[in-house]
Amino acid sequence: MIEFGSEVVDTIITAAALIGGGIALIAGIGAGIGQGFAAGKAVESVARQPEARGNITITMLIGQAVAESTGIYAFVFALLLLFFIIL
Amino acid sequence: MQWIYLANFEIDAEAGAMPIFEIFGIPVNDTTVIGWGITIGLIIFARLATRNLSLRPGRLQNVLEMFVESIINMVNDMMEGGGRKLLPFIGTIALFIGISNIIGILPLLKNPTADLNMTLAFGLSVFIFSHAYAVRKKGFWPYLKEFAEPMAFMLPINIMGELAKPISHSFRLFGNVFGGSVLIALAAYAVPGIIPVPLMAWFDLFIGLVQALIFTMLAVAYITIASE
Repeated sequence: MIEFGSEVVDTIITAAALIGGGIALIAGIGAGIGQGFAAGKAVESVARQPEARGNITITMLIGQAVAESTGIYAFVFALLLLFFIIL
Repeated sequence: MQWIYLANFEIDAEAGAMPIFEIFGIPVNDTTVIGWGITIGLIIFARLATRNLSLRPGRLQNVLEMFVESIINMVNDMMEGGGRKLLPFIGTIALFIGISNIIGILPLLKNPTADLNMTLAFGLSVFIFSHAYAVRKKGFWPYLKEFAEPMAFMLPINIMGELAKPISHSFRLFGNVFGGSVLIALAAYAVPGIIPVPLMAWFDLFIGLVQALIFTMLAVAYITIASE
C-alpha cells in the first residue's frame, strides 16, 4: 500500500476534475445533432411553405431550446467540475 | 496549472456572481444589485411612458403598446383567450429577462441572469404560477388526479417530470448566459482586442434576446400544458 501526500492527492483530484469536465462536454454532440436536425427540417418546411416562416421559426427555436437542455446540463456540470472543485 | 489558476481567477472576477456586501449576515451579489437597478429603471420608464396617455400615441407610448400587443398576441396563439390574463406575469418576465440578458454588453455591468439564484427564482415562480393556475382552472381533485394518468404506477414518474421542469427551465437560461460570459472572459484574457467584440455582440445581443424569447415562450407553454 502506497501512502500519498496531501499535495499529490490534491493534484490527482484536480486532474480528474479537469478530465471529467472535458468528458462531460461530449454530451454537446447530442444537442448539436438534435438542433441541426430541427433546423434542417425547418428549412425544408420554409422552402415548401414560405408564408408560414414566422411560425416555423418560433416553433423551431422552442424545439431547439428543449433539445438543448441535455447539452446545458453537461455544460453546467463541466463548469462545476472546472471552477468549483479546483478551487 | 498556473494558467488554469490565473484564468480561473479572471473568470471569477468577470463572469460569475460575486458577493459585494452583506445585509444582516446575508451576502448580496453584484448581480442582485444590478437586478434592482433594472427593476427601478423599468418602473421609472413605465411611469414616464404612461404619464400622459393619449389616443394618438407619442413615441414612448408607441413602444409600450407594441410590446404589450406582441405579448398578448404571442400568448393568444398558444392559449385561447389567455393573453390579457397572463399579460402582467409574462410581460414582466419578458421585459426583465430581455433587459437582463443584453445589459452585459455595457462595460462594468454583468448579466443578472448569469446568476443561478436569479434564474432559479424565475423558474420557480413559473412553476408555482402554472400549478396554482391549474388548480384554479380545474379544481383541486381533478388536478391531483392528473398525476395518476394514464395509470396509477406512473405517479412517481409524473411527479419527477413536473419537478424537472423548473430545473431545466432555469438551468437553460443560466447555462446560456453564463457560458457566453465565460467564453467572452476567456477570449478577453487570451486574445484581448478585437476578438471579444463580435463574441459580445453574438452572445449578449443575439443569444440573449433569443433566450429571453425562449424563456417566455416556455413559461407560456408550461402554464398552458398544466392547465389543460
